[in-house]
Amino acid sequence: MSAPIIVVRGLGKRFSRGGKDVDAIRDFNLEIAEGEFIAIVGPSGCGKSTFLHMVGGFESITSGDLLIDGKTVTGPGPDRGVVFQEFALYPWRTVAENITWGLEIQKRSKAEQKAIVERLLAKVGLTHFRDHYPAELSGGMKQRVAIARTLAFDPRILLMDEPFGALDAQNRELMQEELQTIWNEARKTVIFITHDIEEAIYLADRVIVFSARPGRTKADIRIDLPRPRDIDVKKSKEYFDYRNQIWDLLRDEVLRARAEFA
Amino acid sequence: MAKERYPAWLGLLPPLVIVAVWEILGDAGHLPDYLPPPSVIARQTMAMLASGELFQHIGVSLFQALSGFAIGAFFGVTTGLLSGALQPVERFYEPLISLTYPVPKIAALPLIFAWFGLGDMSKIIIITVSVFYPIYISALSGAKSVSKVHVWAARNMGASRAQIIWRVLLPTALPQIFNGLRIGLALSFVVMFVAEMVVSSVGLGFLIVFAEQNLRFDIMYVAIVAIGIIGFGADFLLRQIGRRVLVGQMAATELRR
Amino acid sequence: MMIVRWLGRYYSVFVLLAVYELIVRLGLVSPRLLPSLTVIGDQLWIYLANGQLLMHAQVTLYRAFAGFALALVGGVVIGTLMARSRLMERLIEPIFYFGYPIPKIALYPVFIFVFGLGTGSTIALIFLECIYPIAIHVHAGMRSTDRVLIWAARNMGASQAQVFWRVLVPAALPIFFTGLRIALPVALIITLVTEIIGESRGLGYFVTYASASFQYARGMAAFVVIAVIGFALDRALQLVRRRVVFWQRTDVEIK
Repeated sequence: MSAPIIVVRGLGKRFSRGGKDVDAIRDFNLEIAEGEFIAIVGPSGCGKSTFLHMVGGFESITSGDLLIDGKTVTGPGPDRGVVFQEFALYPWRTVAENITWGLEIQKRSKAEQKAIVERLLAKVGLTHFRDHYPAELSGGMKQRVAIARTLAFDPRILLMDEPFGALDAQNRELMQEELQTIWNEARKTVIFITHDIEEAIYLADRVIVFSARPGRTKADIRIDLPRPRDIDVKKSKEYFDYRNQIWDLLRDEVLRARAEFA
Repeated sequence: MAKERYPAWLGLLPPLVIVAVWEILGDAGHLPDYLPPPSVIARQTMAMLASGELFQHIGVSLFQALSGFAIGAFFGVTTGLLSGALQPVERFYEPLISLTYPVPKIAALPLIFAWFGLGDMSKIIIITVSVFYPIYISALSGAKSVSKVHVWAARNMGASRAQIIWRVLLPTALPQIFNGLRIGLALSFVVMFVAEMVVSSVGLGFLIVFAEQNLRFDIMYVAIVAIGIIGFGADFLLRQIGRRVLVGQMAATELRR
Repeated sequence: MMIVRWLGRYYSVFVLLAVYELIVRLGLVSPRLLPSLTVIGDQLWIYLANGQLLMHAQVTLYRAFAGFALALVGGVVIGTLMARSRLMERLIEPIFYFGYPIPKIALYPVFIFVFGLGTGSTIALIFLECIYPIAIHVHAGMRSTDRVLIWAARNMGASQAQVFWRVLVPAALPIFFTGLRIALPVALIITLVTEIIGESRGLGYFVTYASASFQYARGMAAFVVIAVIGFALDRALQLVRRRVVFWQRTDVEIK
């Protein structure tokens, strides 16, 4: 693999809740190269979202290293675009205005903003909804706006925290295909958190299986399915094998996580 | 969380500093007559407590405020719940409440006194009416917030209308009812106080007016402190009761956080 | 058609007014004590025409608004301060948390001595009383902003100031308006109370004076004016809210 741009070494994250210390992540290691699509699966509460928040710069590092291009992550910034599970759209702004929010911060010209908005609206298929408000949109549409907003400021790295978690199963399938298409054009580096193994296999170059708390890498599986991936790949034997392999690994962790809370 | 960086006792600083400064300036004679230093107020409080005078005034005020509160709360909760349960009831009350809600009931004080005399009854009436509103509104809001499926489940299990109101609407509305009760309780003290200031011969409101007219500023502050403590104490008690009663619901909010 | 629907919605009001008038006409109570609606309407007309009611209304409104405006500014400043600085929050919050259930009207006599009897002390009392709900709501509104909204902004490169003005302020507006909805009637009530207790002008004084002179119809006419004002103010505030917080219809409560 080409030189990694994201390097995680011995990463640890500790939370103090009401006097007790909890290790969300301990001794986590990972290397990601430019243009790789990494999916992380793991049981609930295992720390995968926490890891994403740390890469995004929203949570501090307790121990270990988290380097991007050799420099430690210190705070959030537009080089790592985040797509949140809860969409995080601003209810007082229209679809178009939500997409241009980041561009306004970057002080782009009105003409530039307009061009970018139109391009992205077309890309996510919401051209006719540019003047609607988030409250008027369905969950799937809101997530598309959120994705458009993040793509608008063209981050080098995309961090996606269970972006399709709030969608129904049918919309989820469609959104996976759309994400594939979008990603194929730009080939950004992506860290994608999900519960859904099949989603992970379909989208990613590598699937990282997160252990139960405290989180660390249990397995790092390279997905050798041809790209670009069309929906037929989901019917292939290789896909089926990957799915079983990953679920076997994951199942143990899910049971362990359950036992901890029992 | 960052909040722990600053200890809780910091909150005591501002009031303590103010009291200290007040005392120092007062003793040095830099303050006007109507601002006696805290030590003087404390001494007068002790005197009035010892003579039993203070208890007498507190007792009267408390009785009126709490009676009005109790009656107003009773009617507020029952009417609110009924309105939440039965559309016709709500449709009857809704225009009345929404038209008169923004109107200060206290404006009717002189009229009530004229109609019902200057005695306890008038004061309790005004308190009852004032307290009714916020409690009715919160009970109604709480009852309406019940989820359809909860009611359907109850009907599925054969519950009657009355049982649904008592066993489903009331518990659902309880947190909001408690908020309304807190507002109503604070309101009852305010209204009681004002009513006594306007016309009375006993009670904390009267005490303030009396002190003011006789330029006994120390007594005036005793009354102010007394009502402050009563107001705070009553709210504290209510919150404690609320904590016991709402155990299940509060746990739910904690989890969500 | 609209009239019929309107009548239907407010039927209980008309029913009660009718019952009231019936009681009066039947002579069940002395007409001096409970004047008929026509007499009240009469007095209302007379005193509106001669400008007296309007004059007193003006005085009352001026006091209420002045105090409310001051409390608005003060409340926003303090609430914002508490939301932005943990230190300020620790120092100031107890005053609001513990001071809330204390009837601040008890301090009115002190204010009279400080500001003299009249508008000054009234405005001071309104300021003190109304600043509480406003500050508390501003504080709560900003603190309860969904953190993903803030994170998204920082993710897009927004500075602290930009996050404040472009995210915290709009996000806090719904709860802020709830605070205003609570504070505005309070301002009016305090004004009237001070006028009832001891004043020489204003609608509260007018009602008291009329009652003391056994002119109950006149007092009730003034009461009608008060009711209309209170109602109109609340509706006006709702209209403003609807335009400013256009993305949210229902009132938001602090949890």
